[in-house]
Amino acid sequence: MTQPPSTPPARPGVSVPDLLVALALTALGIALFVGSREIPFGINAVVGPRVFPLIVSVGLTALGVLLTVNVLRGERAEPAAEEDTDLDAPVNLAAPGIILGGFVLGAAVLTTAGFVIGTAIMYFSVAWAFGERRVGLMTGVALAVALVTYVAFTRGLGLSLPPGVLKGIL
Amino acid sequence: MDALTSLFAGFETALNPLNLLWALIGVTLGTLVGVLPGIGPALTVALLLPVTAKLPPVSAFIMFAGIYYGGMFGGSTTSILLNTPGESASIITALEGNKMARKGRAAAALATAAIGSFIAGTIGTLLLTFAAPAIADIAVQITPSAKFALIMLAFVTISATFGGSPLRGLLSLFVGLAIGLVGTDLQSGQARFALGRPELLDGIDFITVVIGLFAIGETLYVASRLRKGKDSVIKLEGGATMSKQDWRRSWGPWLRGTALGFPFGAIPAGGAEIPTFLSYTLEKRLSKHPEEFGQGAIEGVAGPEAANNASAAGVLVPLLTLGLPTSATAAILLAAFQQYGLQPGPLLFITNGDLVWGLIASLYIGNVMLLALNLPLAPVWARLLLIPRPFLYAGILVFSTVGVYSLNNSVFDLGLLALFGVIGYGMRRFDFPVTPAIIGVVLGPTAEAQFRTALQQSNGDFSIFVRQPFTAFLMLCVLAALVVPQVLKFRAARQAA
Repeated sequence: MTQPPSTPPARPGVSVPDLLVALALTALGIALFVGSREIPFGINAVVGPRVFPLIVSVGLTALGVLLTVNVLRGERAEPAAEEDTDLDAPVNLAAPGIILGGFVLGAAVLTTAGFVIGTAIMYFSVAWAFGERRVGLMTGVALAVALVTYVAFTRGLGLSLPPGVLKGIL
Repeated sequence: MDALTSLFAGFETALNPLNLLWALIGVTLGTLVGVLPGIGPALTVALLLPVTAKLPPVSAFIMFAGIYYGGMFGGSTTSILLNTPGESASIITALEGNKMARKGRAAAALATAAIGSFIAGTIGTLLLTFAAPAIADIAVQITPSAKFALIMLAFVTISATFGGSPLRGLLSLFVGLAIGLVGTDLQSGQARFALGRPELLDGIDFITVVIGLFAIGETLYVASRLRKGKDSVIKLEGGATMSKQDWRRSWGPWLRGTALGFPFGAIPAGGAEIPTFLSYTLEKRLSKHPEEFGQGAIEGVAGPEAANNASAAGVLVPLLTLGLPTSATAAILLAAFQQYGLQPGPLLFITNGDLVWGLIASLYIGNVMLLALNLPLAPVWARLLLIPRPFLYAGILVFSTVGVYSLNNSVFDLGLLALFGVIGYGMRRFDFPVTPAIIGVVLGPTAEAQFRTALQQSNGDFSIFVRQPFTAFLMLCVLAALVVPQVLKFRAARQAA
């Protein structure tokens, strides 16, 4: 079950991260509104392609303003208690950074180096971010998982995934 | 008795040996992925979508039916042996089932969950068989304005009425609606919010959004606050079995849980969470030994598990008859239909009757298969819980990549996946529910189409939404769903002060 949150919910003052989120949502609403104004009315249609985007953007902006007001009055969000998480632990932002970095790198080389290499990089970076340090084992498992996935999806299910440098071998 | 005739035809489709094989693969994969900690039923279905990419529609949906029910079964195994609910609907199972398991009664807990799920699933599917055609007959006559009002009702109940914070739920919904707007407007051919990227002209693939928000978001979030230390997985000797006394104490809760779960699944009320809680409270009140609850009472597993699975069958009623998803998992099933160019709704029973009835028949078959798989194989599934977290989450990321990349073979989509992953992380960190966003992405375009059709018919007269009695009634429900909870909260606050 969920553990009680470590921070008492009613700390005085405005939470800066919460405020940034509220402002970002408001800004997104405004940006959508400006974008909707640029969509033409459409020809001989009663309701053109811009009406619905206008409704959505106005709604989003209004809700964003409401949230901003609430945050300025001291409301703050409680982080979700998920499986495998410890809300009392210090937040470690390096780990998600490593995962994202590995993902972007793997995606960037996916077509040139190929699917197996690309996803093996992703696999390795997640395992590393989750605190695994047995490098030899991680490399082996990463390559094995990527290879088995590639073969299963291409041979077994007829999808086409980029072979890259392993072209001809696979 | 057309329902029976159609159902027999459906069984003919589903009992074809090849389709039986697909059903078996579906339930096995569904259970396998559903058992993995951190993966709820919604993500199970989303991750396994690419597996069905090359199949003909009927086989694909028969496999989906298996994956859908299998994911539910797998989730209960994890809750009992690991005390980590994969979704809010399994919280109760985790609470009471894990207590049973710690007392060495894991086998009985797993058995009552599996048999209860089977009974609830079968009764739920029976109700679906007879309710669906009747509702579809009525649903054909629903006007576009009423359809729009119905979608509005689903939006409001799912995002504002049953959540913790209505404002955060609505914000999540509107972000989903905004994502759904990207792409070419089908009625006018006008590009909207495509930012000049040709990849965005077709809109953003729904699967990219789901896998990003659920899988990548979850991975990033868990990595940022990882719980150190070992899990205590309960060791399991032999298969799941129950004693005579366990049977005596289980059958009542199974039936009562089913009665609670099915109607809650069929109305847009935020899924299976409420009926599982209701079932638990009810069993506690009816029990001869209420002191056992919270210490591992078998009724506290049997009732909620049955409610959970009956609700999963109930969800299919509005999905198949109205095209209205009432849970995140249902939204993904709807997207799967749309991938095949099929629009679930009353017309689907007429245009693709064989497919719909094949799907319904395979739900019965899948339930039997799941029971046969889960009772003896429980120890095998339990072994999966021993996968170390770093390797498990890494595998989830690789599978997410396959699922999204194979949609269009485009690296651009992987960039979008990373973006939605970051958004998903933010939603968990700042307490925004994910389901409303998913529903917004899926139903937004349909809502807009119905809205425009209704106004075309009325020549731009907005009063059409209040003139037709049924539409007006639905609109009143929407208003009530927004206002009533707030009033109740306000009054409770005043009484407390």
